[in-house]
Amino acid sequence: MKLFRRLLLVLFVVLLGWGWHERENLWAFPDIISAYTAKEYCSCRYVMNNDAEYCRGYVKQWLPAELTDNAAQKLVSASGMGRINSAQWQGERQGCRLNP
Amino acid sequence: MFKGLPLFLLLISFTVQAEQWPGEQWPTAPKITGPAVEALEAYAFPARDDNTRLGIRTDALLVVRDGQIVYERYGAATTADTPHLTWSISKSLMATVMGVAYGEGLFKLDDPVAKFYPVLEKHPAIKMADLLHWASGIDWQEDYEYAPLKSSVVAMLYTRGHRDMAAFTADHDSYAPAGQAFRYSSGDSNLLAAALKTMVGPQRYPDYPWTALFDPLGIRHATWETDATGTFVASSYAYLTARDLARIGLLMERNGRWNDRQLLPEEWVAFNRQPFGGYKADQDEAVPGGQWWLNRSAEGAPSPWPDAPPDTFAALGHWGQALYVIPSERLVIVRYGDDRDGSYRHNELLKRVLGAVRP
Repeated sequence: MKLFRRLLLVLFVVLLGWGWHERENLWAFPDIISAYTAKEYCSCRYVMNNDAEYCRGYVKQWLPAELTDNAAQKLVSASGMGRINSAQWQGERQGCRLNP
Repeated sequence: MFKGLPLFLLLISFTVQAEQWPGEQWPTAPKITGPAVEALEAYAFPARDDNTRLGIRTDALLVVRDGQIVYERYGAATTADTPHLTWSISKSLMATVMGVAYGEGLFKLDDPVAKFYPVLEKHPAIKMADLLHWASGIDWQEDYEYAPLKSSVVAMLYTRGHRDMAAFTADHDSYAPAGQAFRYSSGDSNLLAAALKTMVGPQRYPDYPWTALFDPLGIRHATWETDATGTFVASSYAYLTARDLARIGLLMERNGRWNDRQLLPEEWVAFNRQPFGGYKADQDEAVPGGQWWLNRSAEGAPSPWPDAPPDTFAALGHWGQALYVIPSERLVIVRYGDDRDGSYRHNELLKRVLGAVRP
């Protein structure tokens, strides 16, 4: 039992060390789904001019994301994994860009 | 002595007239038909399942021979008017834009990149040619879908790097001396776009791909997205119709010449098509040249697309985007897709297109 606890402690410390080492990547990770969905939907819809239904299918991922498309402003927001990101159409030549 | 001259001039004028170039529209030749075309379509356009997203899913297939469209078909939502996302074909497009800047004398291949992009002073040894070869030595992780936590490219496009992609790249450490080893990197390509900004100046930069390349070729509907600092996302985000991308292909097929104008120096195209010496066999799906992919054998290994001629070269992008150029066959092929499972094979498509166009 003592040995088991010691092993668990070592494992915990290793995990903590890895988490610290990867802290930037770990913190950024949950943004991927919503940022990807917002940006690529915006470009699918307003740069490639595909219809809304096609674009929803096009950006579908293995994790769910909620998507809001403000067609009047060509502003697309998406949420997933507890984060929200949005992308804005900039113009004919510049296409879409993630908001900072 | 001059007896033969009028005949000679007549012959010259015939050859000049015989060479086809797109104006506002592409010239079209009689469509290719027959069993070989059916075999091509059976491969490129199988029934599409949007639920499983499995198999080959071609959005566009356009074949240009001798400067004329001989085959054109679209799939799913894509039409002849769709400026389709090219993904990493953008890298080769940026190299073509840079070729015009090279012709203007704005940089040399052995210029240090930090001369144009001081943020890169952490890596002072990187030269322009090294970026063009994807050989910066910067410790970059290109994996898209299998290592999302460690993927430099996902972080660059969507999370930590999207505001300033070149600076995000420059901030990485090195793993090898510059110019020695090949490692495919979207970061290297975006450093090129950042260097270009200084070369042409902030006034010309936002329109430069259009004034330098798209306008002279008659490309009217191109989009090229930028990051928040206005730097073009050279790695990933150019959009062109299939017909317009084929114009870039024809420019490359004809050694950088468009009608009677040498838009790219011939030595630039030769550099694009020269295999990078630091590449080891099977490091990637084809042999890297200067931001283009070559069907050349490396270190005695078989060439990447054995059923296509050795002078075949290509611009390739995620999910099956491809622009193939085969000068010896006077052939340009654009293939757009939405392949999600990696089952599409360049060699198989090239083989079937060649079978369909050869008499």
